[in-house]
Amino acid sequence: MTQSEAAPDAASDSTVDAAYEAKLRADYDGQSREDVLRDYREMLRIRRFEEAAARAYTRGKISGFLHLYIGQEAIAIATQQAMEPGDRVVSTYRTHGFAIALGSDPKACAAELFGKAAGLVGGVGGSMHFFDKERGLWGGYAIVGNHIPVAAGHAFASQYTGDGRVTLCFMGDGAVGIGPVHEGMTMAGIMKLPIVFVVENNQYSMGTPLKRTLPVEDITARAAGYGFASDRFHVTSVQETRRRLGEAVERARKEGRPTLLELITYRFRGHSMSDPAKYRQKEEVERWRLNDPLERTLMALKTIYQVPEQELDAIDETIVAEMDAAYDFADKAPAPAPEARFENVMAEGPYYGDSATTRPAGVE
Amino acid sequence: MATVVTLPRLSDTMEEGVIAKWRIKVGDKVKRGQVIADIETDKATMEFESFDAGTVLKLVTPEGEALPVGAPIAVFGQPGENPDAAGAPAPKAEQPEQADKPEKAAEPAKAAAKPVEPRPQPESQDEVKAAEVSAAAEAPAPKATSTGPEGQVDRGRIPASPVARRLAREHDLELAQIQGSGPHGRVVKADVEQAIAKGPTARPAAAAATGPSEHVPAASLPPGSHAAEVDEYGRPYISRPDRTVKLSQMRKTIAKRMGQAKREIPHIYLTMPIVMDKAVALRAEFNLSVDGTKASLNDLVILAAARALRKHPRVNAYYTDNGIVERGDVHVGVAVALDDGLIVPPVRFADQKTLKQISIDVRDLGTRAKEKTLKPEELTGSTFTVSNLGMFGIEEFCAIVNPGEAAILAVGAVQDEAVVEDGKIVARKRMRVTLCSDHRVFDGAESAKYLQTLRKLLESPLALLT
Amino acid sequence: MPILQIRQAIRDAMKEEMERDERVFLMGEEVGYYNGAYKCSEGLLDHFGPKRVIDTPITETGFAGIGIGAAMCGLRPIVEFMTFNFSAVAFDQILNNAAKLRHMTHGQFGVPMVFRGPNAAAHMLGSTHSQAFEHFYAHIPGLKVIAIATPYDAKGLLKTAIRDENPVLFLESELMYSVKGEVPEEEYLIPFGQADIKRPGDAVTVITWGQGVPVALKAAELAAAEDLSCEVIDLRSIRPMDEAAIIASVKKTNRAVVVYHGWPQGGVGCDIVARIQELAFDDLDAPVLRVCYEDLPMPYAENLENLILPSPERALAAIRRVAYKR
Repeated sequence: MTQSEAAPDAASDSTVDAAYEAKLRADYDGQSREDVLRDYREMLRIRRFEEAAARAYTRGKISGFLHLYIGQEAIAIATQQAMEPGDRVVSTYRTHGFAIALGSDPKACAAELFGKAAGLVGGVGGSMHFFDKERGLWGGYAIVGNHIPVAAGHAFASQYTGDGRVTLCFMGDGAVGIGPVHEGMTMAGIMKLPIVFVVENNQYSMGTPLKRTLPVEDITARAAGYGFASDRFHVTSVQETRRRLGEAVERARKEGRPTLLELITYRFRGHSMSDPAKYRQKEEVERWRLNDPLERTLMALKTIYQVPEQELDAIDETIVAEMDAAYDFADKAPAPAPEARFENVMAEGPYYGDSATTRPAGVE
Repeated sequence: MATVVTLPRLSDTMEEGVIAKWRIKVGDKVKRGQVIADIETDKATMEFESFDAGTVLKLVTPEGEALPVGAPIAVFGQPGENPDAAGAPAPKAEQPEQADKPEKAAEPAKAAAKPVEPRPQPESQDEVKAAEVSAAAEAPAPKATSTGPEGQVDRGRIPASPVARRLAREHDLELAQIQGSGPHGRVVKADVEQAIAKGPTARPAAAAATGPSEHVPAASLPPGSHAAEVDEYGRPYISRPDRTVKLSQMRKTIAKRMGQAKREIPHIYLTMPIVMDKAVALRAEFNLSVDGTKASLNDLVILAAARALRKHPRVNAYYTDNGIVERGDVHVGVAVALDDGLIVPPVRFADQKTLKQISIDVRDLGTRAKEKTLKPEELTGSTFTVSNLGMFGIEEFCAIVNPGEAAILAVGAVQDEAVVEDGKIVARKRMRVTLCSDHRVFDGAESAKYLQTLRKLLESPLALLT
Repeated sequence: MPILQIRQAIRDAMKEEMERDERVFLMGEEVGYYNGAYKCSEGLLDHFGPKRVIDTPITETGFAGIGIGAAMCGLRPIVEFMTFNFSAVAFDQILNNAAKLRHMTHGQFGVPMVFRGPNAAAHMLGSTHSQAFEHFYAHIPGLKVIAIATPYDAKGLLKTAIRDENPVLFLESELMYSVKGEVPEEEYLIPFGQADIKRPGDAVTVITWGQGVPVALKAAELAAAEDLSCEVIDLRSIRPMDEAAIIASVKKTNRAVVVYHGWPQGGVGCDIVARIQELAFDDLDAPVLRVCYEDLPMPYAENLENLILPSPERALAAIRRVAYKR
């Protein structure tokens, strides 16, 4: 499969409108207006959060690396719907979307990006290290692939304690070549752990297209070697994604059999804020835009559900206001106290260093 | 309401950018996410997707102009709205942005300056102070010298272990007074403990000004002049203790004899340049032709000096109050430098020896002098001395006449020099010799004549081989 | 009091803790059916079954990560590395996950677990299998690093390690698994951060740990024959380090030698020397010396290996030097 083929056929079809609408109607068959509006609203919240992040970055309010989830929102929303309370999401450094989808407070998320005390992890993690245990977001890992064994460990704990939880472990297409992925999956296969591995294939390993990073482009071909079930599809709608994710989650929970899923998606932005993404063609981006699940949902709301423009605008405005308020909060929130740096290094309490020779002045 | 669009920061290191190309014009309706401009950053040219929606009321910045991040570049709003109403036009709109911009601009500058700025000055001053404090603590100054940099006396200059230093301080002992038994004479704990057991030692202020192992007396430094003790970075100069080396027997003898000579003999010094081209060539030829020989130029000089002495017996003499003794034999002393001194074994009957023999004798004397295997009688009896420092590149020098002789020939290096001969400049190998002589025995004219003879012999050296 | 080998003390510690706390399990290569590559887990599979004594494939990154993930869920894993040389494969898991997760998650998670196994040179294993890892791990805030040299310490400290809320690197010695010693029958724990004076003395302080301990003790014995009385301090706990014990002894003897396995440059030995010079400068009577590996990879050949390893003779030479004897 080449990149251009990766985009669904509808996109390149000359009778795009008719085919597009037919497919749209098929996808939304049987879905209620309220459900679709909910999916739309949830996805839009992520997009507007990310756009606000990009804007704050351009204003110098956010530093370090900033990887946006724009284009991939449907996956986070579908995941949230496919999970049960107590299930765990273990993800990468492109993880704001999961936080918003799982219900983390956008204020805390924005404050984390701003390095503030009120941040999701107190301002010590930044964009790449989001954790919100209470809501099922178990990371937040910025070393590519090193969370796969850890996620397998969570699944092992579920097996060991019989707590009935499922771990959903996400990674990018660029991660599948790195060693820990292989070791973690080997262990998960041998131990038959309740886990779902999801590759979010957004076509690029940073700036390198997948045909240059993958010996076999079908990533799920690897599932057989680990004894996993597998599934592979284009993410164009929340509900289709939820359904197929849900099958994998149930397989993990009921049969203790891992699944390797490859979700074909697209990020509309560069790898990070400083990436102009010149390695791809404008046409390619436009073709994918037609299949942007958010865009399609909007289209469905307009064409199938006949939702008035004003209602849609009002939704957008509400969300923009919510995100603006979150970023405003983050901007005004206080930075961590100096002594915050001593916290959470060791379990025993504040840690000031092991030697009297290196402790900060005034600390015994 | 109108919205001011500002220049985005598109990378973490971007401080300014250029609108490479506007993709919108006044009156266009812009959607959120639409590309409105290409912006050149420090890393790349990037498309700027709008965060705002609205109608373009005004493009503030022309293409190609460099702007700081945060500068207003455009104004969006409702069609017909006054772009300036939002506080938008370039100069006014800049104010709110500017308000936090100088701060931002200043921040990196501050951050960059931080590690550099506060460091050298205050810290080094602290160090100086600390050094002074510890010096004072370690060696409470004797009152007499309290205005001078007395801490110098035992501030780190005497090798001592830290605990020895502390114990000495606590027991009011002067480290300088304690013999160190550790490596490099380090005063160690045991040494101080021994000193403590011996009971308190007097610490007279005078101690600092007496004894052979003393330092520069504090008084010789400008009083109160701390500047003299630290370098331009405020670091104290490292002072090391003087070292008394025991006089060797040889050193004692040299001291005695040279002192005596310099006190008693009125020296006169005459220097003569000698062209050595032929001598150099002859020596080379000689060494090639005569097996088993490696004559040096100095051997040739010794031979010439000895032959010249035969012609000028007054130079081969010594002074007594009863009369001048002209020596019958010519024994030319050859100065041999040793590790800590020199000896002057004579080449006996040098005037009668061949170059080959002189060369063999000099080599043998030199070798055995260094091995210290010369017999006492081999060390005495010279009637004249040749001292050559030419191998060190010394051009000319003055030597001290050995007591019991009338003169010493100080020989400099053979050097390539530009010499005027017959009105032309030619390259010549020249050597300067200085006859240092006892004025009581002969006068300048005699000295000059001797040097002329010597020159003749060395400039036409074939005669030396007869 | 029963006499046990270190391997038995380790096994007993694990057995008692697994009996006490169901969350504790053992995982690693050959820990189950094989009874442990060095028989440290002998009989544990039979006793606890395969749910809690888990054989893994050769996937150091994989099972180290599983341990970390399980610990984040509240379990208390013991991960055995067949040797710490293989922990290098899992280094990222230890450095970036075990050591960082409590911090990175702002305390939402902890990683209470033990990584254990033999460390440092054994006998003629060549360069890749003869390395001392405390020098790497002791560098990292967020970890605890323990090295044991007696059955008594092994048991008491391993039990403490298993109960600790932080990730603990527990370093043993292949050469010393058979070392015997008294181990009380009743339960006891040894707190971290407490050095043990293995031999009292007043002329020279010898600081050591792990495989350095027998070297230092032998050197102290040789020194005693020359009327040099050495105080041998077994740190046991490298991070946290019992700085106070070191300084107290140095203030008494005014001299120190550090004896350990590992290279000279940039390791725990340097750290100890730095602490001494800063905290006991005015008490030093001689430079502090280190006796450790030569700054070279370990060759296989026995004569070459012996030249590189710290020996009692080399330690004695250093002891004499700091005491200004010859």
